[in-house]
Amino acid sequence: MVHNDYIPKLAHILEIKEEVGGARPIKTFRTQFQNKNDFSFRCGQCAMLSVFGKGESMISISSSPLVKDYLQFSILKMGRVTSALHEMQPGDIIGIRGPYGNGFPIKDWKGKNLIFIGGGIGLAPIWSVLNTALGKKEEYGDLTLIYGARTSKDLVFREELEEIKKKIAVHLSIDVEESDWNEFVGFVPQNVTDKKPSPNNAITITCGPPIMIKFVIKALEDLGFKDEQIYTTVENKMKCGIGKCGRCNIGSHYVCKDGPVYSWAELKKLPQEY
Amino acid sequence: MEKILTKKSFPQWVKKLSLYKIYAPVRDNDICNLEAIDNPESIDLDCSNTVLSPKKIIFPQREIYLEFETSDENKLQVKEILPEETPSVIFGVRPCDAKALTLTDKVFSGDFKDPYYWKRRNSTTLIGLACNIPPSPNCFCLSVGGSPHSKEGLDILMTDLGDKYFVESLSEKGSTLINLAKPLFQQPKAADKKAVEKTQAEAEKKIVRQIKDIKKIPSILENMFDSPLWDKESLSCLRCGICTYLCPTCHCFDINDEVSSSSPVKGKRVRTWDNCQFPDFTMHSSGHNPRPDRSSRLRQRILHKFQYFVELYKDYQCTGCGRCISKCPVGIDIIEVLDKVSDYGS
Ligand SMILES: Cc1cc2nc3c(=O)[nH]c(=O)nc-3n(C[C@H](O)[C@H](O)[C@H](O)COP(=O)(O)OP(=O)(O)OC[C@H]3O[C@@H](n4cnc5c(N)ncnc54)[C@H](O)[C@@H]3O)c2cc1C
Ligand code: SF4
Ligand code: FES
Repeated sequence: MVHNDYIPKLAHILEIKEEVGGARPIKTFRTQFQNKNDFSFRCGQCAMLSVFGKGESMISISSSPLVKDYLQFSILKMGRVTSALHEMQPGDIIGIRGPYGNGFPIKDWKGKNLIFIGGGIGLAPIWSVLNTALGKKEEYGDLTLIYGARTSKDLVFREELEEIKKKIAVHLSIDVEESDWNEFVGFVPQNVTDKKPSPNNAITITCGPPIMIKFVIKALEDLGFKDEQIYTTVENKMKCGIGKCGRCNIGSHYVCKDGPVYSWAELKKLPQEY
Repeated sequence: MEKILTKKSFPQWVKKLSLYKIYAPVRDNDICNLEAIDNPESIDLDCSNTVLSPKKIIFPQREIYLEFETSDENKLQVKEILPEETPSVIFGVRPCDAKALTLTDKVFSGDFKDPYYWKRRNSTTLIGLACNIPPSPNCFCLSVGGSPHSKEGLDILMTDLGDKYFVESLSEKGSTLINLAKPLFQQPKAADKKAVEKTQAEAEKKIVRQIKDIKKIPSILENMFDSPLWDKESLSCLRCGICTYLCPTCHCFDINDEVSSSSPVKGKRVRTWDNCQFPDFTMHSSGHNPRPDRSSRLRQRILHKFQYFVELYKDYQCTGCGRCISKCPVGIDIIEVLDKVSDYGS
C-alpha cells in the first residue's frame, strides 16, 4: 500500500467544552482515534481536521504530547468547517491528518526560564508547550504566563488557568475595564511592558493576532530580549499541509511544513507576507 | 536506440500500442488539444503546441481523493480513491512540457510523496516531438536551460525529417514501445543522422525571444520584494488566472468536499487546480490577506518561478513554452517583466 497523506484517520469527539460564547465563540474538543495508530506529535504542531461534507481546517494541537488519552483542539468559529465543528456533539466523527509543521524546539530550552505570551485563541498552541513544561517542571527554570483577551468572557481555559496560578506566575489582562476585574486592564503588549519579564536566560513564546504579536515583539525588544529569544507562530491559509498546494508560502518557506513556529531572528529575514 | 519510422507507418505503430491508453495532439479548427484518441489517423503531429500541456493528464484539473458515506447503521465510512494505473502513452510532447514534468516531479516528491501524481506519472510514457519550427512566436526555452530538441524528461524523442521521423529511445519505457512494432522501424543511415543535426541546429536559430540576463535574475529578485515594478507591471491584470492555469509547471491546488447528499452525508473530497492570481487564494476567513492586490500576486508568480524555486530546487520553475504570454488577455509578458527586473539590477 502506498502511504497517502491526504486520507484522514477517523476520530470521535469525546468531550466538548464551551470556552467563550457570544459572537466569536470558542470551543475545546477532546478527540480520540477510532483505531490505534502511530500519531505522535511535538508541541506546536498542528493537525488538519475534517468535517466530511464541509472540508478541512488546520488547527493547533492544544494538548501536551504527554497526554496519551486524547488529542485536544480549541477552535474559534469562523467559516464552513469551524462552524460545522461548533455544531457537533460528543460521539460525532471527524477526520484528523497530520501532525504537521515543525513545532517548538523545546529540547533547546532545557534549564531556561520560559515566558508564554498569548492573546485570545492564541493560547491554544501555547497550551501544549506550557503544559509540557509544567509536566516536566524540573527540567526548566521559571515559567510565566502573560495572557489576555478582549473581555474576561473571551479568556479561554479559565478553570485550568486558576489551577495553573497555583504553580506558576500568571498575569491576565483584558482590553477594557470591567467591574469585578482585579488584574491588568490594557492590551497584552502593555501588560508585557508592565510586568517587565527579564531576558536573562529566558525564551519567550508568543501567539495571538498578528497585530498583538507585532507589538509584543516590540515590547520585548525594549526589555532587552534578543531576536533569538523570541518565538512565535505564523498563520497562513492552508489546504494541503504538506508543502504541495502552494498557498501558505512566505518566500521559499512553506509555513505548513517549515513553520508555523519561527524565531523572530528567522522571521525577520523573510518577506512580510503573513 | 536510434531508428527511422516513415510517416506512412506511424499510424501502424500507434495501432500496435493497443494495450496503452493513447493521448495525442488533435486539431480542432485553429487550436490543438491534447486528447485521448482511439483512431491513430486523428493524431496531428503538425499541430502547434497543445493548449494545455501533459500536466493535465499527470496532474488532472480535478482529482478525487476519497469518498465518504454514512452507512445504514449510521456509521461514517471513508474510502480512499486512487487513480488506476492505466499504462498510457502521450505523443507529441514538446521538450518544454517534458521538462516541466521534471519540475512538478520535484514538488510532488520529498518527505510527502503524492500518490495521485506518481501513480499517473509512473504509468505514462512520454514521446517527445522536437520543435523544428517553434510552435509559438513566444517560445523562449533556450533562455531557461531548455532547447527545441531537449531530451530531458522524455522516453522517446521524435524529430520530423520530411517524410519520416528520426526516433530516439531514451529510456527502457521508450524502447519497449519501439520493440512492440519492431518491423516498422529501420536503422538510420549516416545521412539521417546528419539531417537531424542540421534540423536541430536550424531550429535553435528560429527561436527569437529570449530573457536578457537570466543568470542574474534570481539574485536581483532577492532585493526586489518592495519594488514599485510590481505595481506598474500588474496594473492591467484581470485576475483571470489563465497564465497559471496554462502553465505546465504551476501546481497549486485547492481541496474541497463535493456533497451529493448533506443528510445523511455522502460525497467526495476533490483537489482542483487553484491559482495564485485569485484574490481569495491566500485570504483568511477573517478577511486578512497577505497578498491583497494584483501587485503582490504578480510578484508571487515571478518570484516563485525565478527566485523561490531556484532556492529550493536549483532550477527555474519555467520552461519557456510561452503560453502565459500568448494567452494573457491584456498582454502581460513574462519576458518583458524579467527584462525590466534585469534593468533594476544594473
Ligand atoms: C498553523 C495554523 C494553526 C491554526 N490553529 C488554530 C487553532 O488552534 N484554533 C483555531 O480556531 N484556528 C486555528 N487556525 C485558523 C483556522 O485554520 C481557520 O480559522 C480555519 O481554517 C477557517 O476555516 P473555515 O472553514 O471555518 O472558514 P472558511 O472561511 O469557510 O475557510 C475556507 C477554507 O480556507 C482555509 N482557511 C481560511 N482561513 C484560514 C486561516 N486563517 N488559516 C488556515 N487556513 C485557513 C481553510 O482551509 C478553510 O477550510 C490555525 C491556522 C493555521 C494556519
Ligand atoms: S493571464 Fe494576464 S490578466 Fe490573466 S491573471 Fe495572468 S497576468 Fe493577469
Ligand atoms: S498548505 Fe499547501 S503548501 Fe502549505
